[in-house]
Amino acid sequence: MVRTDKNGQKGEFKKTTPKDIVYFILPFVSIGFLLLLWYRVSSITSLFPGMVQTYERFLLLLEKPIMRVPFYGHILASLKRVVIALLAAIVVGIAFGTLIGWNKKCDSFFGTVFNFIRPIPPLAWIPLITITFGIGEFPKILIVFIGAVIPIVLNTRAGLLSVEQIYLDVGQLFDANRWQMLWEVAMPCATPAIVAGIKTATSAAWMVVLAAEMLGAKSGVGFLVTRGMDANDMPLVLVAMITIGVIGALLGVITSLIERLICPWMRIK
Amino acid sequence: MDENKVILKISNLSKTFEDKKGNVVRAVDNVSFDVYDNEFLVLLGPGQCGKTVMLNVIAGLLEPDDGEVRLDGEAVNGHSPKIGMVLQKTALMPWKTVIENTEIGPKWKGVSKKERREKAESYIKLVGLSGFEKSYPAQLSGGMKQRVGIARAYTNDPEILIMDEPFGALDAQTRYAMEEEVARIWQQEKRTVIFVTNNIEEACYLGDRIILFSERPATIKEIYVNDLPRPRDMISEEFMKLRTKISDNTDLAI
Ligand SMILES: Nc1ncnc2c1ncn2[C@@H]1O[C@H](COP(=O)(O)OP(=O)(O)O)[C@@H](O)[C@H]1O
Ligand SMILES: [Mg+2]
Repeated sequence: MVRTDKNGQKGEFKKTTPKDIVYFILPFVSIGFLLLLWYRVSSITSLFPGMVQTYERFLLLLEKPIMRVPFYGHILASLKRVVIALLAAIVVGIAFGTLIGWNKKCDSFFGTVFNFIRPIPPLAWIPLITITFGIGEFPKILIVFIGAVIPIVLNTRAGLLSVEQIYLDVGQLFDANRWQMLWEVAMPCATPAIVAGIKTATSAAWMVVLAAEMLGAKSGVGFLVTRGMDANDMPLVLVAMITIGVIGALLGVITSLIERLICPWMRIK
Repeated sequence: MDENKVILKISNLSKTFEDKKGNVVRAVDNVSFDVYDNEFLVLLGPGQCGKTVMLNVIAGLLEPDDGEVRLDGEAVNGHSPKIGMVLQKTALMPWKTVIENTEIGPKWKGVSKKERREKAESYIKLVGLSGFEKSYPAQLSGGMKQRVGIARAYTNDPEILIMDEPFGALDAQTRYAMEEEVARIWQQEKRTVIFVTNNIEEACYLGDRIILFSERPATIKEIYVNDLPRPRDMISEEFMKLRTKISDNTDLAI
């Protein structure tokens, strides 16, 4: 099919315009500026580790485990906590969000309590969770779960409440029962919102796990930050921070890919 | 065919709304008419006169303030599975492909996949969309979406098919083609059709009977019987005569 684009040009494919090149280059420019800033700051004070120093620390970390856990082991430890907490949050969050988004009575029953719990930052739960469950794996996962479940519940509820009437009309016209109305009409309508909630939850989970690890853990990337601070090993802190950034960005990319898989119809236009 | 068997009886239907400022808007005012079995009935009225509201009440999507709808002599309460509808805003489900959209009626009734696919396939073919089964609505033009809406309604096998300005948003060319198609399908698959339009030519081309409505609130102005032979010739003398007769009775622009 021949399409006419905004500029009145006919053709099947888009030409690469100077603008596209600019958009391609800009991210690299910003990374360049960041590195430059890092270089400047580290050359002003010797306390701030430089790039070479950090890179060397990184190489050393690959060879020499900390607390008998190799570098990738720390990454896996953090990821494991995030993945378990996220999976639980997705199941529980969608179920609970659906309950309060689809049933007015449940919404008014649970709504107030939920609105009261919602603004409490996950880290504020640490003392209570620690005295209740100790300091094993479970309490850390529970804290991450609290951070991840809230955006999923909120988005699921909002997604279901904003289902357009016209789709409910279609459901009625073709005699959908209550179950079909929920699963075949309302849930697909709400899916983009739910997936957006899962994306928010993923980045929240990644931040919470690091904070939880900083407060008390023997493994994980967050633990590396604390360890670096305690041992006055600033290059280690920087290696950990960069790792956190890179993995966080990768998690973002992965969730976007999953979104495209779950909502193939959203890719069109 | 028993021409005068009443299948649907609409009596004293009224519906009002309250707009955002709290003013009462009377959309339908004391409307009564009969729909005969297997006829092609056209409801003709100007935009915003209350046609969609009336259809939504008949289809059971809206409660009337007053009056009732009787199907085969029985009062209809809520949506009757015997009534199908092609919505003015097509409302295909964007997350379903063409074939998945088409088969929702039988699917929700629990018809087996093989059986309902076959049926959906046959109506997709009938509306000329073979080859687009796996496309998503966003990949289709307005006319194609409307045809999916028609196939979806037919696949559900309603006794009475309501079509709410299905071609309102189409260009003239596509519109003529679709009118021909709908007339052809109706002759092939006789069933009762209630077709709503604001276009006099379309009304004369399709209808066995044409009920002309006034401006809002919708009230019946006149009922025309149209027994011109099908397929109809839009530039024949009789066609023009009917068309002029109706347009003389309205302030519709055509
Ligand atoms: N849900 C509603 N709330 C308020 N007003 C409505 C509602 N639905 C329809 N109306 C009003 O009723 C009138 C008739 O609408 P409609 O039946 O859609 O006209 P049409 O004949 O073009 O199909 C319009 O003025 C519209 O604003
Ligand atoms: Mg309308």
